[in-house]
Amino acid sequence: MAPKGKGSSKPRGNATEEVEETLQAVVLADTFETRFEPFTLDQPRCLLPLANTPLLEYTFEFLANAGVEEVFLYGGAHSDKLEKYINASKWRASSSPFTKLTFLKSTSTSVGDVMRDLDGKHLITGDFIVVSGDVISNLPIEGALTAHRTRRAADKNAIMTMILREAGRNHRTKSSSEMPIFVIDPTKDRCLHYEEIDRHSPESSRLNIDTEIIETHQELDIRQDLIDCSIDICTPDVLSLWSDSFDYQTPRKQFLYGVLKDYELNGKTIHTHIVEDHYAARVRNLKAYDAVSRDIIARWAYPLCPDTNLLPGHSYDLRGGNLYQEQGVMLARSCVVGRRTVIGQGTSIGDKTTVKNTVLGRNCKIGKNVTLDGAYIWDGAVIGDGSTVHRAVIADGVVVGNGCTVESGALLSYGVKIGDGVTVAEGRRLTNAASEDGHVPASEPAVVGEGGRGYEYVPEEDEDDEDDESTVSSGLVYNMANLSLSTESISTLSSEVSGYGGSQAGSYDSSLSDDEEGDHFVHDAAASVYDSLREGVTPDVVNLELVSLRMTANASDNQVRRAVISAFMKRIQQLMEEDNQHAGDAVRSIFKPYREIVERTLFDRATGAKPDQVDLLVLLQQDLAQRPRGDTVLLFAAKELYELEMVEEEAFEQWWVDERSYGSEEMKRVRSQTQQFVEWLANAEEEDSDEDESEEESEEESDEE
Amino acid sequence: MPSTAALTPGLSSFLKSLKTNPIDTSIDNLISLLKRRQIRHSRSCATATAYLLLRVISACRTSDAGKLIERVQSVGRRLIAAQPREMVVGNIVRRVLGLIRDEAEDDREGDFTLSEAGSESQPQTPRATDDPSVHEGSDRSLSRPPFPTINTTPISMFNLLSHPEPQPSLPGTPVSASPSGRFPSYTPTKDIRAEVLDGIGEIIDELGQVDDQIAAYALDHIHSNEIILTHTSSTTVQRFLLKAAAKRKFTVIHAESYPNNHEATHATVSGKETGDDEIMSTESFQKPLIALGITVILIPDSAVFALMSRVNKVILGTHSVLANGGLVAAAGTRVIARAAKLHQTPVVVASGVYKLSPVYPFDFESLIEYGDASKVIPYEDGDLVDQLDVQNPLYDYVPAELVDLYITNLGGHAPSYLYRIVSDHYRKEDISF
Repeated sequence: MAPKGKGSSKPRGNATEEVEETLQAVVLADTFETRFEPFTLDQPRCLLPLANTPLLEYTFEFLANAGVEEVFLYGGAHSDKLEKYINASKWRASSSPFTKLTFLKSTSTSVGDVMRDLDGKHLITGDFIVVSGDVISNLPIEGALTAHRTRRAADKNAIMTMILREAGRNHRTKSSSEMPIFVIDPTKDRCLHYEEIDRHSPESSRLNIDTEIIETHQELDIRQDLIDCSIDICTPDVLSLWSDSFDYQTPRKQFLYGVLKDYELNGKTIHTHIVEDHYAARVRNLKAYDAVSRDIIARWAYPLCPDTNLLPGHSYDLRGGNLYQEQGVMLARSCVVGRRTVIGQGTSIGDKTTVKNTVLGRNCKIGKNVTLDGAYIWDGAVIGDGSTVHRAVIADGVVVGNGCTVESGALLSYGVKIGDGVTVAEGRRLTNAASEDGHVPASEPAVVGEGGRGYEYVPEEDEDDEDDESTVSSGLVYNMANLSLSTESISTLSSEVSGYGGSQAGSYDSSLSDDEEGDHFVHDAAASVYDSLREGVTPDVVNLELVSLRMTANASDNQVRRAVISAFMKRIQQLMEEDNQHAGDAVRSIFKPYREIVERTLFDRATGAKPDQVDLLVLLQQDLAQRPRGDTVLLFAAKELYELEMVEEEAFEQWWVDERSYGSEEMKRVRSQTQQFVEWLANAEEEDSDEDESEEESEEESDEE
Repeated sequence: MPSTAALTPGLSSFLKSLKTNPIDTSIDNLISLLKRRQIRHSRSCATATAYLLLRVISACRTSDAGKLIERVQSVGRRLIAAQPREMVVGNIVRRVLGLIRDEAEDDREGDFTLSEAGSESQPQTPRATDDPSVHEGSDRSLSRPPFPTINTTPISMFNLLSHPEPQPSLPGTPVSASPSGRFPSYTPTKDIRAEVLDGIGEIIDELGQVDDQIAAYALDHIHSNEIILTHTSSTTVQRFLLKAAAKRKFTVIHAESYPNNHEATHATVSGKETGDDEIMSTESFQKPLIALGITVILIPDSAVFALMSRVNKVILGTHSVLANGGLVAAAGTRVIARAAKLHQTPVVVASGVYKLSPVYPFDFESLIEYGDASKVIPYEDGDLVDQLDVQNPLYDYVPAELVDLYITNLGGHAPSYLYRIVSDHYRKEDISF
């Protein structure tokens, strides 16, 4: 290949030379997010059917459309299933438009790892396209590619071009939870700054643009109306950048953000190619799944429509009103099949059943008098007579009994069976997948009914800093963002009551350091409570503020406690230092009027084990370990808590023997003074029980005090 | 091959890859191109199909007509399933099937009319690529003389019997079982493929010349000072009008055919290059009508009715023509035809014979392709996208009674006469294969 300089002097010649380069593409089958759970417990995410065609087919179709010749497919979870599928697919056949299709297994846990792995393998020879395995687009990439190549010929540092689709203010296909913001220099199509704004957390609703960006650029577009379909045209330099910064995990939030930030350092520029026509979207979560399905059925992504029959063997046919039907569908004479519906081969629909806005896979059996609206029912599912399914996803082989109701946003994963007459509540996620240790947890008859199979899937809350997104977005399971959000927080609340707090408290030490987002909440909430304490606001108002903060951040009870304790202690310390108050008085002046706030964070009054109260004490201890005269304050605080009946004596005992409370030297030191109090407590209790065992203990104690 | 790498695949890249790729790859390739609508428009589809069948037949290592027919049928079925609404694909497949049958029958009939057989076999020998054909040429010249005498008598009887024969899937029958082994040494050696390939070559030539042939009739239909209304950027119609414009002065009213074809229409009117795919590349670039001093008025589709009273003639292009004289043409055509009917304005449809399909429109809804909704309202408008069902039909069905005249490369025909052309071009047994 001739040097670039020669090429640029003869633009025509340059173009043909560039054309001779084989176009490579990297497909990330797994994007290392957990947004399709519980379905992804059984199946790789990119094989989930969208309008009865696996997601990956659309992505490959897009690449074939773009004239890509070599494809590297990175499998993540369930890569064996994926490999099997790929090997049997038409993309491996001799007629495949790809000359090379390489399946790469990796143990990566993030996009960053994949990119670094790819860099290590030296497979990439020239410019390449990176897409995730859930991209759906009918965009011819030529324009973007040419733009990228001319830019690159002019400036070696233009390393990447992102393809973004314009999409107005509100759009169903845009992600609703986090909002990507691109700051772009429109004269050069250069992206200057990138940030994701979480719509549901008030603390990050600010955009921090470097003043230098504003000073050095005459024109700036700040855009939030773009669908980021994660189609990137990259040069090999991108890979080495990934390798250089080994801590980058996510392609946008960290890589893009980081590279743009370090422009001064590395001089690399990233560009955007904003398209105003054609379709481009990513099925990033279930809400997008819903939106993209509807787009495809309504022919927005033409020619990627069901009647294009991407998969060999499909025979969809368009009838009026966006009804797609395959050959061999059995419809009862009296059933009503409405608009925007896809029905696969071998599916039978019973008498007086109404179906609309629904995707039905192959070989489904829909009984009589069934109502389906907005449902996604995959292959081989059975819906019993008289059932109703409304805006839910029902996976392969699920059996829903007679007379059931599946409410909005419910997700029934592979192999679940619902007994007769059961109502699956809104947003419920049911699965029958084996857990990590290989055995299938017992079915929960309360959820799936008599004779049912499956259990409710509760998403893990791991302390990844990406996690807040995923919990929010999986909480948003479907549409109706606000509605689902509120149910999500309520369900966290209720699950916390039932012993959830214990596990959370157990992982406390790690979450202290790792949980950045949690820290945000704690910080903000503590600041707010502290301000209220200083201004002497009534506890009701403080509580209200706390609750609203906690709802928006979806914070755990542990975090709330931490916030409260840290605010209280800060105020107490301030009272002691500035007003020279005695420790005891200071503690009393805070705890007494505001005891309600503390009490609201404790839920274990009626139970034997007191994880919440113990947690509170540990937090108190931890906080005070870092403050001057912490030991004294701890003693008084403990006494005050006891006197105000906020913490019961069992909790003190449990706390004292809890390993967290004597884990480190500091902790031991700070609690040394409190020892006498605990000893006294133990004695008092003994006396109590000697005196009168039947009497209620707390009453006794307060009398004595 | 590598030079096509970064190009978006299309007709040109397909034709290029056809030479190098194995045949099955090419078939699958065309199927996916059709599915992705990367090859669209009647002309491109027809060309691609013809070239593919050319390859299929030349790659077939048999000279047995039955096997050839079977092979072409199976390929044809797959192509049609890929994009049933591009009816020209089926038309071309049917014509090739007809060619094979003709040749097979000619064979059996034993070239009793020397002149006909001679004219067909002469060009075949030099073109044929395989060695056998060369030998076979000499073979035949040796064995030819006896036939006329033997064959003249049974010919009519045989004809009656043999017509239904190719239909049942008994590949061997027409050759071995029929004229009763009287010349068994003759049939297997004769390579009908070469002649079929010739025939396909003729179809391809026809596709290239059809516009000029149609344009030759222009002066008969367009007179001085007429006002002609047309629609879409059909190259056939443009060529037709240009031919007339060379001799006569008239006025053209051009409806822009929004939203699916308006860009191309604007480009056609103004003579600017669209940079658009293969329609342009297969056509030699042509001057716009305005360059020849013709007044062209571009109007929105909604104004058609208002202007119809002043129009002398409506000339339309089409997507395909059906056997009953109806046509499937770009959306908006039916409105124009209807308006013309009301104003008693003659409607003339210019179409190559290759677009003429033996299909009867029992369910014309199913012939209409629905296109990209974002051409109608922008996808950016999230609220509308969420709440509206947008339908964007690409084609209209125009019933035969709204059309007054068809001009094909064979001349002008009334719609009611089309069934005749259909039966001339397609064999009955191929209509539904």
